Amino acid sequence: MAENTTLSNFEDEDTQKDKYLTFHLAGEDYGIEIQYVIEIIGIQNITDVPDMPAFIRGVINLRGKVVPIMDVRARFGMPDRAYDDRTCIIVVNIDTTEVGLVVDEVSEVADIPENNVEPAPRTSKKHGDSYIQGMGKINKEVKILLDVHKLLFSGEMQELAASLEE
Amino acid sequence: MSMPLDDDQIEIIQEFATESRDMIEQLEPAIIELGQNSEPETINSIFRLFHSMKGSAGFLEFDHMTRVAHAAENLLDMIRNGEIELVSNHVTLLCAACDFAKEALDMVESDYNDDAMVAPADDISEKLHQAIELAKDSGEPQAEEAKEDATTKKEDPIIQASPSAAEDDFPQLEITDEMRLSFVQEGNELLQNMEQGLLSWGENQDDKEFIGDIFRNIHSFKGNCGFFGFSEIEKISHQMENILDRVKSGSKLAVDNPADQLLASLDVLQQAVNNISDGKDDRVENFAQHVSDLQILIAPLLGDFLVEEGVQEQAIFHAVETQKKPVGEILVQQESASTEQVNSALKKQQDNINKTKAAAKPVARTKTSAKRQDIRVELGKLDSLINLIGELVIAENMLIHNPDLKGLQLENFNKAGQHMSKLVRELQEMAMTIRMIPVSGLFRRMIRLVHDISVKAGKKVELELIGEDTEMDKTVIETITDPLVHLLRNSLDHGLEPPDERLAAGKDEKGTVKLSARHEEGEVWVTIEDNGRGLNKEKILEKAISKGLIEGDGSDLTDKQINNMIFAPGFSTAATITDISGRGVGMDVVKKNLEKIKGKIDIYSTPGQGSKIILRIPLTLAIIDGMIVRVGTATCIVPTLSMLEAFRPVMDQITITPDGDELAQVRDNFLPIVRLHEILGKKPDSHDLADGILIVLESQESRFCLFIDEILGQQQTVIKGLSDFIGNVPGVSGCTILGDGGVCLILDVGTLVDSAESKKLKFEDQKNNI
Repeated sequence: MAENTTLSNFEDEDTQKDKYLTFHLAGEDYGIEIQYVIEIIGIQNITDVPDMPAFIRGVINLRGKVVPIMDVRARFGMPDRAYDDRTCIIVVNIDTTEVGLVVDEVSEVADIPENNVEPAPRTSKKHGDSYIQGMGKINKEVKILLDVHKLLFSGEMQELAASLEE
Repeated sequence: MSMPLDDDQIEIIQEFATESRDMIEQLEPAIIELGQNSEPETINSIFRLFHSMKGSAGFLEFDHMTRVAHAAENLLDMIRNGEIELVSNHVTLLCAACDFAKEALDMVESDYNDDAMVAPADDISEKLHQAIELAKDSGEPQAEEAKEDATTKKEDPIIQASPSAAEDDFPQLEITDEMRLSFVQEGNELLQNMEQGLLSWGENQDDKEFIGDIFRNIHSFKGNCGFFGFSEIEKISHQMENILDRVKSGSKLAVDNPADQLLASLDVLQQAVNNISDGKDDRVENFAQHVSDLQILIAPLLGDFLVEEGVQEQAIFHAVETQKKPVGEILVQQESASTEQVNSALKKQQDNINKTKAAAKPVARTKTSAKRQDIRVELGKLDSLINLIGELVIAENMLIHNPDLKGLQLENFNKAGQHMSKLVRELQEMAMTIRMIPVSGLFRRMIRLVHDISVKAGKKVELELIGEDTEMDKTVIETITDPLVHLLRNSLDHGLEPPDERLAAGKDEKGTVKLSARHEEGEVWVTIEDNGRGLNKEKILEKAISKGLIEGDGSDLTDKQINNMIFAPGFSTAATITDISGRGVGMDVVKKNLEKIKGKIDIYSTPGQGSKIILRIPLTLAIIDGMIVRVGTATCIVPTLSMLEAFRPVMDQITITPDGDELAQVRDNFLPIVRLHEILGKKPDSHDLADGILIVLESQESRFCLFIDEILGQQQTVIKGLSDFIGNVPGVSGCTILGDGGVCLILDVGTLVDSAESKKLKFEDQKNNI
C-alpha cells in the first residue's frame, strides 16, 4: 500500500499519463486511468453487507484491510453473470478510499494519447453515460473510458452518503 | 527571526509549543485554585510554570511571550513575598496571560515566531504592571525596593532583573549537559541510599552504623552540589549534615526523632534533583523555610545559655574539654558558676528544647519518588503499532486455526501455539494501555471553564472532580472534550440557579457540579451531575410540539424520551441566547461526538433537585470478545458483553401478536424476537423458531432475543470499520477478519434493540387495551 501511494505520487507523471487499464464488460471494452489502479486480484469470497444498493456486493479482506466491492455490471444495470475464473477485481484508490470493482475480464494496459480521445456522446438517454469520461480509439477499436470518481460516488452512492448525513 | 529555519529548529519550536501547552494546562487549574486559597505551594507552582515558560521562550527568542511571562512572574513574586495582596483581579489577569500564551503558541506553531503578538503582549504586560503598581500603592511601603525593580524591568523587560531570576544564570555557566546528567544520576543514587538509611535508622535509633552511612552519603551529595554551584540544595544538605553530625556525637536534638524531618528534607532535595534533570535551575521552593526548619532541630548548646548567664566563656570551653560529667556540675565544682546560674541555664535549655519541639511540628511527608520517565511519541507511530498488533492477532488466528492442520496430531505445535496466543494477547493488552491516558488532564481543563462561566453568569459554583485517574483512550478523551464543555455550560447556565433563587428554594447558595469518571459494565461512565433546578419537562414538550418533533400532546411519552429531545439539533428552551449557551447547538454536538465513539448518553433529572447526565463510553474501540453465530451461509459476531443467555426455544414460549410480531417468554419477561436472517437478508436453515437458537441480548437496560441457526464459537476480535465508502450500516457496528481470512460483520446490539423495542411497546399497548 505504502509503495503504491508513493508510486502514484512521485513517479514521473509522464509514465502514467494517457495509460489506461482496459477490461471487458458484457462484450464491450472499457478503460480506466491507470493512476487510480492499485492492483488486480482474482474473485474472492465476498461477505454480504445488509442494506446496501444491489451493486455493492459486500466486503473482502485484502491483506487485513476491509475493502468494499462494487459490481460494475450491476452498477450499469446490466444483467448479472455468474463469476468465473476470468472474473477479476480491480482495486482502485481515490482520495484514500479503496474500492474493488468486479469486471468480466481484464485485458491490458493501453496507451491512448489525448488526441485519440473523443468526448463522451451526449445522445443516449441511459443513465450509464454519466460515468463516461470519453471514447478512446486505438486503431479501429473503441474503448469506453470511465470516470472513476463518478463511477464510485455519483448517483445512488451520493444519495446513500446524503442519507447518512441526515 | 525572519531567517529561514531548518528542520532542527522547527522541531525544537514544536517541542517548545507542546511543552508550553502542557504547562498552560497545569497553570490554569492552579491559578483558579490560587483564587480560592493562596497557599504558598500553589503560588510557587504557578511561579515555577511561568518561569519555565519564560526560560524556554527566551531561549527561542519569542520575546513577546517572554515579556508576558516575565510580567506575570513579577506579579507572582510580589504576591509570594507578601509585598502585595492577592485580589481576584490578579487571577483574571493571570488567566488572561494564559490565554495570551495559548494564542501566541498557535502563532508560533504556524509561523514559528510570535512577532504578530506585539499588541496583545503590550496590553497584557501593561495590565500586569498596572496591577503591581496599583497593589503597591495601596500596599505596604516596604514594596519600595520592588517598585524600583519593576521600573527597571519595564525599561528593559527582556533582561532578567529580578534577583532570584538572575541568580540561576551563573551556576549553569560552564556545566555541560553530560555533567548535569551524571550529577542527577549520582544524586538520585545518593538520595536513595540516604532514604533507605534514614528509614532503617528511624526504626532502630541506637544503631550508629546507619548514621555513619547517611552522613557519608549526604556529605558526597553536598560536595557534588558545591561543585556544580547548586547553592541552595548545598545549604540544605549542609544543614542535614550538621544534624547528623550532632546525632553521631550523641548530643541532644530538639526532637526525639529527627528522621522524619530529614526525610522531608530529602524529598526537597529529590525534587530539586528532578528539576535539574528537567533542565531547570536548582531553586528550592521555600528555601529559607526548609533551612530554618532544619536549624530548629539543632538544639542550642548549653554553653550559649551559660554565657548569657554571665559565665566566662573560657571556663565553659575548659569545662567542655574536660567533659565527663554534666557541664553544669563541673562548672559549679570549679566555682566558675553558681548553682542557681547553672540551674537557670538548664531550665532555659529545657524550655528552649520544648519550645522548638512544639515548633518543629510533625512534618507531613509528601512523597516525591524518582522521576517517572516519559517519552513523547508521535501518535501516528503508536497507531500503526496498534494496527500491526491487530494484524498479528488475525495472523495468529489464521495460523493456529489453519484449515491445513485439521485432523493432524500436533501436540508440540499446539503447545507452541498456545504459548504464542498468550504472548500475543499480552502484547495486545499492553498496546491498548499505551494509548490510555488518565482523564485528569481533561477534567482539570474544566476547572478554568467552570470558573469563567460562573463569573460570567454570576453564579456560585463548586466543581467536584471524582475519579481523575480513570484511564481512557486518547482519542476518546479528545472526542468527549467538546461534549463535556457543552454539558458543563448547560449545567451552569441553565441547571444551576442564581444564588438568590437557590436561597429562596432552601438550597445552599453555592451550587455543586460533580464531574466524575469510573468503570462500569465494561464501559467508562463520565457523569456530570448538578444540584440545580433540573430539566423543565413542560418547556421541552412545548418546544418539541412547536417544532413539530412530536405528534399529539406528548402525553404518551416517557420521561426518558422527553429528556432525550434536548439532543435534537437546534433545540433550545432558553428564551434568550446568552453568550454562554442557548443556541441549541451544544447538545447536538454532544450526541454526534458520542455516536462517533459508540458511546451512549443517559439523562436523569428530578425537577428542583438537579440533573445527571451519564456519558457511557466503551472501554476500547479496537478489540472485543465476540460470539460467532451463523444463520444460513452468513456468519456474524455478537459482542459477548451484551449477551445474557442462549437457549433453544419450545413453541410454548412463543407468543405471536396480531401484528405478526413474535415474543418469547423468558421466565417472567416477554422479550421481542429479532430474526437475524431478516436483518442480513439471508435464507436461514429453518424459519421455525424451534429449530434454531435464541440468544438474549441486552443493551441500555432493554433486552431482546436474536434468532439464529447456531453458535459457532467464541473469539477475540479486532474491530475494523467498514469502509468509509459504505458508511454506517444499520444493525452493524463494524467487521472483523476471521481465522480463515473471511470478513465477518459485528452486530450492533444498540440499534437492534431499538427496533425490537418498538415491537414490544406495541405489544404492551395492545395488552393494556384488552
